[in-house]
Amino acid sequence: MDKKLDASFERVEKALAVLIDSMTKFTPSEKAANDVVKAERELFLGLEELEVHQRNVARIKQLKQETEALDAQTKQTISALWEMRKELVAVAPTRFSPAKEEKYPFTTQQLLDYARRISRNTLPPPGVTNGVDLSTAAPTTPDDQAATGPNASFATSIGGGGGGGGGSGQGTAASTPAPGVQDSFVSQVPSQSQTGATELPVHLKPAVNPLENAPFFTFPTIDRIRSGALAQYQDLINRGIDPKNYDPEEEERRIKQEEQDRKDAEERARQEREEQDRRMREERERMARERELARQQQQQQEGGMDRRGSVLAPGQAGGQPARAAPKQFTFLDEDDDDEDED
Amino acid sequence: MASEPMSIGSSAQDPPPVPDATSQEPKYGGHTRFELELEFVQALGNPEYVNYLASRKFLQNPAFVAYLDYLQYWTRPPYLQYITYPTSCLKMLELLQVERFRKDILSPNLTHALVTEGMKAAVEWHRESLS
Repeated sequence: MDKKLDASFERVEKALAVLIDSMTKFTPSEKAANDVVKAERELFLGLEELEVHQRNVARIKQLKQETEALDAQTKQTISALWEMRKELVAVAPTRFSPAKEEKYPFTTQQLLDYARRISRNTLPPPGVTNGVDLSTAAPTTPDDQAATGPNASFATSIGGGGGGGGGSGQGTAASTPAPGVQDSFVSQVPSQSQTGATELPVHLKPAVNPLENAPFFTFPTIDRIRSGALAQYQDLINRGIDPKNYDPEEEERRIKQEEQDRKDAEERARQEREEQDRRMREERERMARERELARQQQQQQEGGMDRRGSVLAPGQAGGQPARAAPKQFTFLDEDDDDEDED
Repeated sequence: MASEPMSIGSSAQDPPPVPDATSQEPKYGGHTRFELELEFVQALGNPEYVNYLASRKFLQNPAFVAYLDYLQYWTRPPYLQYITYPTSCLKMLELLQVERFRKDILSPNLTHALVTEGMKAAVEWHRESLS
């Protein structure tokens, strides 16, 4: 571009120089003047072109800047994304406790079992009001009164014993107190007219309802706490026993077992003693018998000596021991004699 | 109740296992930890008992407070199904986590109010459900 313009300028200068030269020589040339005009026109065209060129350059510059800015922005965005990703990865995921996350499946049977288990601690027995006046509040109609009053449920429980349909039985009784129905049942059920004729006197109510004025708690009473496992635990500590791994039942069994073992051992010892006594007694008796025998033999020998010259028959010598046997009871005879003497 | 000093580190941090036929848990005075803790957490339902604990300064003991926090496993399955006094026991366990309540329950008036209101509510909720 520069070259082109330089050429245009040069041409204009040359044409101008030719013109001035011709003018200084006082021979103005028309051709030279036309050349100048032409050169000048070309110069203007070149300048216009330069202008366009400059504008384009400026535009290119601007676009370049814009590109750079966008590049920077892209880079920034990407780095921000990278940072964010890093942060996201770094964030420890919240772990919900299993209790909240997991579902504990249960069967209807389990639910009903639980309901039955807790009902004695959550639902007051019929007739128990805990001092709340049930007759004044919520129920709107006499029917409702009959259905919700504590006496009603009590009456249902005693009157409707024949079948599970307590509600139907109660409805019958409330509308038509049949003659066959128990007296207490009839008197307990508030009839629709509620005249008071069938109502028991106040002082008799406790007699038909053992739970009258009985308190109902939804928590274990102090007495129950005092008779529980924790109380036993404390009792063991008070007695100086370490409750860890100590089982009273096991201990009781162990003591019983020891007692039994001791008894068995005593029994065995007693039997052994008796056996020993028996053996000693037999031994003594045997020895006594031998002594007696020896004594008799000695006596006989002595007797034989006295009867000198007497000759024993051969058979008599063998019969001697047979005769000696009964003599072991000789002392008995002596005892008898003693007794006779007494 | 035991009055010797307690320490936080002395108690096991995991709830005891749910009993089954084959478990061979160590016994404390003839009862497993499960049984003892179940009984204790239910006894907490009795405001008079909690008042007694407060009067013995148990509720001011950080170790005991930590134990109360630990006992909250009874509010979740599968332990929940073993509680037979759910209404008062669970509410009291919740209240006992609050420091203000642990101080206030020392008052006999509050204790009495809790007992009487509880008795009243036990009768009235049933009536409301019927009407």
